[in-house]
Amino acid sequence: MTDQTLIQSGSIPSQVVHPHKRRRQILMYTFLTILVIIYSLPLIGVVLSSLKTTGDIAKNGLWTKPNPVNLANFSEAWKEGNGHTYMVNSFLVTIPATILSITLGVLAGYVFSKLPFPGSEALFLFIIAGMFFPPQIVLIPLFRFFNAVKLYDTLWPMIIVHIAFGIPICTLIMRNFFSTIPNAIRESAVIDGANELQILTRVMLPVSLPALAVLATLQFTWIWNDFLWPIIFTQSDRWRTIMVGLITLKGQYSVAYGVQGALALIASIPTLLIFIFFQRYFIRGLTLGAVKG
Amino acid sequence: MTQNKRLWAAIFLAIPLLFYIVIVIIPLFSSFYFSLTDWNGFNAAYHFIGLDNFKKIISDPNFSNATKNTILWMAAAILVPSVGGLVIALVLNEGIKGSSVYKSLFYLPICLSLAVVGQVWIWIYQPDWGLINTVLRAAHLDNLTLAWLANPNTALAAVILAWSWQQVGLAMVIFLAGLTSIPTELTEASQIDGASYWQSLRHVVVPLLSPATVVVIALAVINSLKSFDIVYIMTQGGPFHKSDTLAMFMYLQSFKSYYMGYGSAIAVVLFAIALVIISFYFRQVSSLEHLYD
Repeated sequence: MTDQTLIQSGSIPSQVVHPHKRRRQILMYTFLTILVIIYSLPLIGVVLSSLKTTGDIAKNGLWTKPNPVNLANFSEAWKEGNGHTYMVNSFLVTIPATILSITLGVLAGYVFSKLPFPGSEALFLFIIAGMFFPPQIVLIPLFRFFNAVKLYDTLWPMIIVHIAFGIPICTLIMRNFFSTIPNAIRESAVIDGANELQILTRVMLPVSLPALAVLATLQFTWIWNDFLWPIIFTQSDRWRTIMVGLITLKGQYSVAYGVQGALALIASIPTLLIFIFFQRYFIRGLTLGAVKG
Repeated sequence: MTQNKRLWAAIFLAIPLLFYIVIVIIPLFSSFYFSLTDWNGFNAAYHFIGLDNFKKIISDPNFSNATKNTILWMAAAILVPSVGGLVIALVLNEGIKGSSVYKSLFYLPICLSLAVVGQVWIWIYQPDWGLINTVLRAAHLDNLTLAWLANPNTALAAVILAWSWQQVGLAMVIFLAGLTSIPTELTEASQIDGASYWQSLRHVVVPLLSPATVVVIALAVINSLKSFDIVYIMTQGGPFHKSDTLAMFMYLQSFKSYYMGYGSAIAVVLFAIALVIISFYFRQVSSLEHLYD
């Protein structure tokens, strides 16, 4: 299974069109189209709400054409709804945590693939078991710990926790990727006098871009979308991330569905962009590291 | 040489292991410790109360209710998104034109945060102008309209359905990856031998898909165990604990009622369940390795 087969599957043109095959195709198209429309309704709903005034929703309901089309919801969500602060906070957490979790995964993955030692296989399993842990099992001790070190209600706990919880998946994917690189490449670099850090950064990493892209899209999406850690570790509006901001906004503007819809769309823009531009890496990552929730 | 390799392995593993152990493993053991106390989250002082928290768990109807809901969630998670994802993957794998557009639309919800998904589905279930009730009224079925999220009989199912909407895409991704690894010669050969579409599906395709099926089911089970975000956003476990899951119940006991000792005991139970799933999954891993190639 390569990238190519993943992308191309399903787009192979049908060669011979028998009448019954044609009927079947029409059936499939109809089935798929109806399904896609129903499936997309929730997304259509959020777009509709973001374009409607509160009065319009009250009068005509949510599921009608916006009348008039109202873009003020976006500026209200951004300014009065404090969306700009939340977005900045989310970036401040997501970017460093994504980069550092991948860096640590690269280091560990390299060891498990190219520098094995007695017991390294067991240590590897010990680390990747972390992918299965529900975060609830460490919630209370971490809450206590970050309170004790006076980092409660800052962005630091989220960054640190996301790095740690990202290590299992990053280690798994990097180890599996490095294992596809022949050992002979490493050995010839050793003979040339390179040390392991040089081999990793100059020989291995330049050919690892697909794996790094997979991890970057996955980690960014998961960390950006996280909701649990910020509600545990932050309290003040100043340090809320966008996903928590979205829920708080709901409390403040209990009937301003348009503003809520606009902020939900703003909150989804970064991951939607990743999805649109790096879809193949994202999807590949999901199949590779499917065990992470 | 070996000496050198060991040294580099130690250097590379130091920081990843430090993060993983300090943020994941030590807190895990710490949860065991606090599960034997009556800590309330604020006071510095707490008492050892032995296994009292676990005795309370056994007799707490809210705990058995949350366990029941989590099991129901797992069952639904295995059935709804997996079967849905399989059907869509099979149709998309037929090689019809434009299937990549359909594919993208089914993938799309995976990149959304559960906070956004929950928010959007609240509007689908909204009693006055929500999509479901609007459609029911238009079809003159007014007597079927409900306050879906506030009704004790429908709240849990409503939340699971919203969650499944997102998970369908994930199951589909994995099944599609599995389907592309099945040589078309095999299905063609079975059809030349006179097998109908359903026969070749049942006797050729589905058995060959079993590695993907294991991944999908493992994911469904583990993600069910983690189900928190969407419950928090849509119902907070209500009404009357009807949509409580173990992860939600743990949060409520710990961070709303401040029974942190009791919350830790629930965390320990969650860990025990996760451990059973991990050991089951690791036993299957060898049969899955080719999925990671």
